[in-house]
Order: sequence, then structure tokens, then C-alpha cells
Amino acid sequence: MKTFAAITPVLALVAAAVVSAPAFAADLTVEFPTAAPQGQIMVALFGSETNYGGEGQPVRYAMVDAAGGQKSATFEGLPDGDYAVRAFHDLNGDGKMNTNPFGMPTEPYAFSNNAVGNMGPASWDRARFAAAGVAVQSIDLK
Amino acid sequence: MTPSRRSFLMGAAALSAAVATPEMVRAAAALDAVAATKADWALATRDIEGDIARRTMRLIHGRAPAGLQGALYRNGPARFRRAGGSATHWFDGDGMMRAFRIQDGQATLEARFADTPKRRTETELGAVVTPGFGTKGDARARIGSNDDANAANTAVMVAGDQVWALWEAGSPLAMSVSDLSTTGFVTLRDDLKGMPFQAHPRYASDGSIWNVGLAGNRAVIWRLNADRSLNDAQIVALPRASYMHDFTATDRHVILVLQPWVFETHAMPVISGLAWRPEMGTQVLVLDKDDLSERRLYDLPGFFHFHLGDAWVERDGTIRFDVAASGDPRFAVDGARVLVDGHGVVPGDPAKLALITLRPNGRADMTYSDVVGEFPKADPRRAGLKRSLTSHTSGETRGRPLPTGLAVHDWDSGRSNAFEFGVHQVVEEAVFVPKPGATAERDAWLVGPSVNLKDGRTELHVFDVARIEDGPVATWQADMALPVGFHGVWAG
Repeated sequence: MKTFAAITPVLALVAAAVVSAPAFAADLTVEFPTAAPQGQIMVALFGSETNYGGEGQPVRYAMVDAAGGQKSATFEGLPDGDYAVRAFHDLNGDGKMNTNPFGMPTEPYAFSNNAVGNMGPASWDRARFAAAGVAVQSIDLK
Repeated sequence: MTPSRRSFLMGAAALSAAVATPEMVRAAAALDAVAATKADWALATRDIEGDIARRTMRLIHGRAPAGLQGALYRNGPARFRRAGGSATHWFDGDGMMRAFRIQDGQATLEARFADTPKRRTETELGAVVTPGFGTKGDARARIGSNDDANAANTAVMVAGDQVWALWEAGSPLAMSVSDLSTTGFVTLRDDLKGMPFQAHPRYASDGSIWNVGLAGNRAVIWRLNADRSLNDAQIVALPRASYMHDFTATDRHVILVLQPWVFETHAMPVISGLAWRPEMGTQVLVLDKDDLSERRLYDLPGFFHFHLGDAWVERDGTIRFDVAASGDPRFAVDGARVLVDGHGVVPGDPAKLALITLRPNGRADMTYSDVVGEFPKADPRRAGLKRSLTSHTSGETRGRPLPTGLAVHDWDSGRSNAFEFGVHQVVEEAVFVPKPGATAERDAWLVGPSVNLKDGRTELHVFDVARIEDGPVATWQADMALPVGFHGVWAG
């Protein structure tokens, strides 16, 4: 009994995971339809306000080979939930977000929902979206 | 009792309580609500709802001078108020490009809003939300870069088949010369995207065009080729973080006038971070165009200004230029709010013309005329070179905003000639247009509009510089009134 009792919750979890897999995993595609065919697009996907705000790691990230003709990145099997994307277009492929002499970005960047900030990055509230099932974010880098 | 900081502050508090109690403020507000009659000049800051299609202006006085052909492009704010919230400062309305075209003795007028991200956001929201020079904005603002706050409302330069709508803290906005439609922000070089390009480029006799952009105590010095392509952009350090709307230049120098209105905090709107410190005086930084690291700093008593005249250097190295100077920035802080309110009293005295002299021995002096004037302009054939004439708006009086006349001041003779329309006209900046084939400084026209408050119409006037006191040689009237604009440029 003791063994059975111990194993039951585990089985239940496994069963739940198997049965509910389609309902609890999202496939997110982030598209950049207007991006110029040069350099690479750095995409960071965040799953919490804290991490999005710069205090933690993205849940996923991707580099889109814009020069090679790619225009999207897909993140598969994400837990359903709220996410936000930060992206910038590394036009010259130097791996950095370049700035002008006064420190303002010179390479295109954007956030999910095409959200714009208020003298800073778009807030989590503006950039957040719910991902469940098949989700698509179409982002114009500016 | 020994005077102390504490007693001083308490005294100040008691004084301010005596001057303006909350009850008095409420009462004044109630009075305003009852007597919410607009001032007679309120048309000058009216709102325009949409673009103004090209229309013929009616010749109501004189005749068009032979040989005057071209277009006066002018920029200025034309939409301040929206149902969900409004701009509260004259400098924060949406930019509208005006084209006054004179051809074969006929004049036409058209005007089109600069299609900026700011205007798009605020049209969608039905509210002015973007912080600006004096408008606070609110949390709904969408500002990912400085150009998202760019009102493109201050001045204009011609660039081939484009006119560039200029602002103070962002990029030029390209619009079509032919129909004033917006093309987009201009990036002069990829690594300089978004660098500020101010509203008063200076044109040199060698074809080069100079401009500045500021960020705190640093400036970018732009040098453009005659075709408006970038020649060079260099960053220079400034001795202070001062508010600067204009700069000037000789054929050999770039001259930055650093007034004692200084940034003490980073805050929006812009004016909330500025402090008036007249005791600091005004500094004049002179840079050698050929080597911007060659610099000289001059000291003057503190004064406030927006606009400078073109500078020149004399044989012994003496540099001179004129300025529309006033005692403090109260107009910039409070007067410009009164203008958008459409009623009230503008504090302070109107600006007067003064001549600044920078001597080779390092001394500087400033001589005030008794001439009330703003929007100084001069002969473009003499930009950066010795000249004697400055044209300017005139007639502004203490307590009543906006000019009512146009004048020409001669710095050599000290004589001023003026034409006064009267208080039923609000007179805008006029540009100096040389007569074809002529070389003398007085062989020129002044071309500029006014708002005729009595008729409720925008007018376009042509004056002869040599006989400005005789009044316009030609006046055309439109069938509607645009709000007054800021700065223009002539394309002959």
C-alpha cells in the first residue's frame, strides 16, 4: 500500500500530462514580415513580468537569419500562459544593439503586440499576450 | 533674530499665502469660467481639423512684383486640443506645413499636417498624451524613441523635391514639395539615426549647411553638403547643459549661445527640468568650422533668447551677431501657455534686438537697441558675411502677446523702419527674398503671412525692404485662417 500510495500521485501527474498535453502546450510563432533581408533578428521570449523587466532570463530565445531569408521563429511546447517578446534587428550582424552617439538605438527593435513604451521599453502590461495552442505574434521592427 | 534659511523660507511661505491663497485661486478660476471669453487674438492658436487643399488667394491690395516667383514654406503647430486631453503649450501642437506659392502674379495656399507617430497615436486615442516642451502628457504616451514625440512643428528646410519639417529634439521629417505628403523621418547616416537636428540650420556662402542638436552638455555639429547629404557630424562637449533653440555662424565659425536656463533635472516636459540662473551669465562658445576642437569661450551678462541673427567676422577677427533678447524665460514657461489658453496675460516684456560683439582680446559686449523685435531674418546672400540689416516682427507690447508689425533695423545707422498693421493683425516671420539680379542688401522683398483677426483670414504680404514703412506692395487673402506659424523658408 505504501508503495502504491507513493506512486499514485506520480501516475496521476503523468496521466494528466499525457492526456492534457494539447491543452497545456502552446506553439508560438513570432513573425517579422517587414524586416529587411539582412543581418539577424534577436528574439527573447519572457514568461514573467520580473524576467521581462530585466531581472531574469528569457524562457526561450532565437536568432532569425534574416540575411538568409528567414522571417520568423517558432517556440514549440510552451506551457500555456502569458508571455512577452523583446526583439531587435542586428542589421550589421555585429551581435550588438547599436546606438547613436547620444545612446539612442539605431537598429530596429520592437516588442510583442507591437507595443511601444513611454520613454523606455514597452511595459509588460503593454507587451504581454496569452499563448495557448497555436499562437502568432506579427511584429514590425522599427 | 538672526535671519536664517528657515526664517527666510517661513517668510516666503507667509508671503505666498498672502499673495495667492487657495480660495483666491479658486475664485479666479471661477471668474475665468464665467468670463471664458477668448482674447481678440485667440484665432492665432486655433485648431485645424484636417489638411487644407490648395486654394487660390485673392489679391486684396497692390500687385505682385515682377520677378517674384517661388514658394514660401512655413511650419507651425495647428492642432492643440483634443476631447480627451490637450496640449497646454504653444510649442507642442501638431506641425502643419504651409505652402504659399506665388506664380505669375497669383498666390495659392495649401497646408498639410506632418504625419508623425505622435499625431497618429493622439488621433487614435482622441487625446494629446505625448509629453513635450511644456505639455506634461500622460501614461498613455507611446514613446519608443525621441521621434515618437516629434511634433515636426517648428521650421522647414528645402531638400531637393522634399521639404524637411524640423523640430528641436529629433530627426527632420521629409514631406513632398509638390503635395506636402509625408515621406518619413530622415536619417543622414545609419549610425546617426534619431540624432537631434534642430530647427535653425545656417546656410554658408560656400554651399555648406550647418546645424546643431543637443543632449545635455553635448552637442552634435552637423555639416551638410549643398545637396543636403551629410558631410560630417561631430560631437562636442559644452561647458553647460543649457536650453538652446538656435545657434549662429559666420563663414568661419559655429557660435553656440549658452543662456543661463539650464537643465538641472531630467524631467518631462522639458521646461520642468530647467532652472533660470541669471547669475551664471550667458556663455558664448565659438568653434572653428575647419577644426571644431579649436574653441573660444566668451562671457556676457545673463539674458534669455530664442533667436539669433546670422553672424559675421570682421577683418580684425571681431565677431558680431544680433539677438532677440529678453530678461527671463517667462514667455517660454508661462506666456506660451496663455497662447494656447486663448486668453490671459503674457508675463514679462517682449524681446528687444541687441547686438553682441566678440572681440579678439576675449572680451564680449552686448548693446541693446530699444527696438522690440522677434523672428530676426537677414539677407541670405550675406549669410555668415558682413551685413547691416535685420528684418523682424514688431509691435508686441507688454501684456498683449504676438506681433502686429514688420520692421527693418539697420545696425550701421541705428535706424529702424517699421510698418504697423494694428492690433487686428497677428504678423508672422517674414523671409528675405533677394530681387533677381540685384546685389544690394536693400534690393530684396520680405514675404510673410499674417492672421487678419478682423476678417478671420490668413493673408500673405510682400514688402519692399527699402520701403517697408510704406506697407505691403501686395497682399493676398485666403478664404480661411490658419493659426500663426513659427518659421519658414523661401524656395525661388
